[in-house]
Amino acid sequence: MELMAKIAFGVYTLIILCGGILAVAAKSLVRAMVGLIATLLGVAGMYMLLNSPFMAFMQILIYVGAVCVLIFFAVMLTRADAGGEEAESAPLRQNTLALLAVTVVGGVLSWLVLTHPVAGTGVPVEVSIEKLGLGLLGPYGLAFELISVVLLVAMAGAVLLAWERRNGK
Amino acid sequence: MPTELIRILISLVAFAAAVGLIALVMVWVERKVCGHIQRRPGPYEVGPWGLLQPLADALKLMGKQLVMPDQADPFLYWLAPILVFVPVLLLYLPLPVGDGLYALDINLGVLLIIAFAGFTGLSMILGGWAQNNKYALLGAARTVSQSVAYEIPMLLSVLAVCFVSGSLNMAAVVKEQGTWPWNWNVMTQPLAFVIYIVSALGETNRAPFDLPEAESELTAGYHTEYSGMGFGMFFLAEYANMIVVASVATVLFLGGWQGPVLPGPLWFLLKVSLLVLLFVFFRWTYPRVRFDQLLNINWKWLMPLAVANLALTAFFVKVAQYAFVK
Repeated sequence: MELMAKIAFGVYTLIILCGGILAVAAKSLVRAMVGLIATLLGVAGMYMLLNSPFMAFMQILIYVGAVCVLIFFAVMLTRADAGGEEAESAPLRQNTLALLAVTVVGGVLSWLVLTHPVAGTGVPVEVSIEKLGLGLLGPYGLAFELISVVLLVAMAGAVLLAWERRNGK
Repeated sequence: MPTELIRILISLVAFAAAVGLIALVMVWVERKVCGHIQRRPGPYEVGPWGLLQPLADALKLMGKQLVMPDQADPFLYWLAPILVFVPVLLLYLPLPVGDGLYALDINLGVLLIIAFAGFTGLSMILGGWAQNNKYALLGAARTVSQSVAYEIPMLLSVLAVCFVSGSLNMAAVVKEQGTWPWNWNVMTQPLAFVIYIVSALGETNRAPFDLPEAESELTAGYHTEYSGMGFGMFFLAEYANMIVVASVATVLFLGGWQGPVLPGPLWFLLKVSLLVLLFVFFRWTYPRVRFDQLLNINWKWLMPLAVANLALTAFFVKVAQYAFVK
C-alpha cells in the first residue's frame, strides 16, 4: 500500500507541475485555464491521499465546476483572440524576476525538507463531515466568519469597481 | 494491486459497456416516442420495428472521417470530447443498484456525483470555444450561464433530502426509506423532487432547456464542427448524464431498489426507465423556452423555492429531533 501511495503522490505532483507550467506558458488564455484545471485536480488528488475525500470533492465541485467556468465566462467576454496581448512573450526582466522567485522559494523549501526530514506521520485519519461541521461552527467559528467577511469585501470591491467605471463614462 | 482498485476498474469497464448499450436503446425509444407523438411511425425499416436503426447509425458515426476546422485549437478540440465522456463513468460508481450492489462503498457518494458532474459543462465550453465557430461559441456561452444557474437549486434540493436522511451515503439513503411508495422520500419532500427534476433537465441540456444546442438558432450549438465520433462522444455523454440524473432521483426520492414483490435491481431499473421516459415525453411536449425565460424560471422560481424548502426542512428536522429523539 505504501508503494501505491508513493506512486500516487508522484503522479499527482507531476500533474500539478505540468498544469502549472501550462498555465504560465500557454499562449491562449483558455489553454492556460486548462492548465489551472489540471493543477486543481492534482491538488484534489493530494487531498484524497490525505484521506479527506470531502475536501477533494469540494475542491472539484467549487474550483473546477464553478470557478473555472466563471473564469471562462470572463475570458469569453474580453474576446481574447489568438493574436491578443497575452500571446506575446513577457519581457526579459519579468522572466528573470519570476525565475528568481521560483528558485528562492523552491530552494528554501527543498533545503528545509532535505536537512530536516519529517519522520513518518502515520496514516491520516478520515474526519467525518459531522465533526467538520461542528468544528466550523464551534471552536473555529471566528475563522469561519472571517472568511465570509473576506468574500463580502471581495464582492463589494467588484461592485465598487464596476460602479466607478460606469460613472466615468 | 489492492482488490478495491481492481473492483473499480472492472466496474468502470462494465459501465462503459452499459452506457453504450443504453444509448442505443435510448436513441430508439426517443425516435419512436417522438414519431408517435407527432403521428409518424418513427424508424421502421432496419430490423423489426426499426430496432437495429440506432446500431446502423452508430456504425455510420464510427466510420465517418474526423475533421478539424483550420483555425481551431487542436489541443482543446480533441480534449473536449474525451473530457466530456470519461468523468461521466465515474458518476456511476456510488450508485446502489440493489441491496449491497454498488461499485464503490463511499460515505460521500452524493457529493462525488455532484462534483464530477461539473466536468460536462466544462468540456462543453472548452469544445465550443476550441472550434472557433460563432455558433459553437454562442452555445458555449449559453452552457455557462445555464449550468451555473441550474446547479444551485439542484444542490439545494439534494441537500434537503440529505438533511432528512442524515447521510450523504447513497446506500444509507435508500436503506432509510421503506418498501412501499408512501415510505419514500418523495412523500416528505415533494417540492424538492419537482425542483430536482426541473433543474436536472436544465443541467443535462434536455428540451425544453436545450438552448446550448438549439438547432433552429445555432445549427448544432456547442458541437457544430464535430464530426463522427467527436460528436458521438458528446451524444453518448448526454444520454449517460440523463441516466445518472434519473438514477440519483430514484435513489434520493423514489426509494432506490426498494419495492414490493420484485427483486431490488429490477425495481431500480424500472424506476430509472420510467423517469427517463418522462424526460423523453417532456422533450416532445414542451416547446423550447426563450433564454430570458430560462433564467427567470431559475432565479425567480426554483432558487427561492429551493431555499425556502431547505430552511423549512432544517427547521422540521430539528423539531423532530427534539420532540422524538430526546
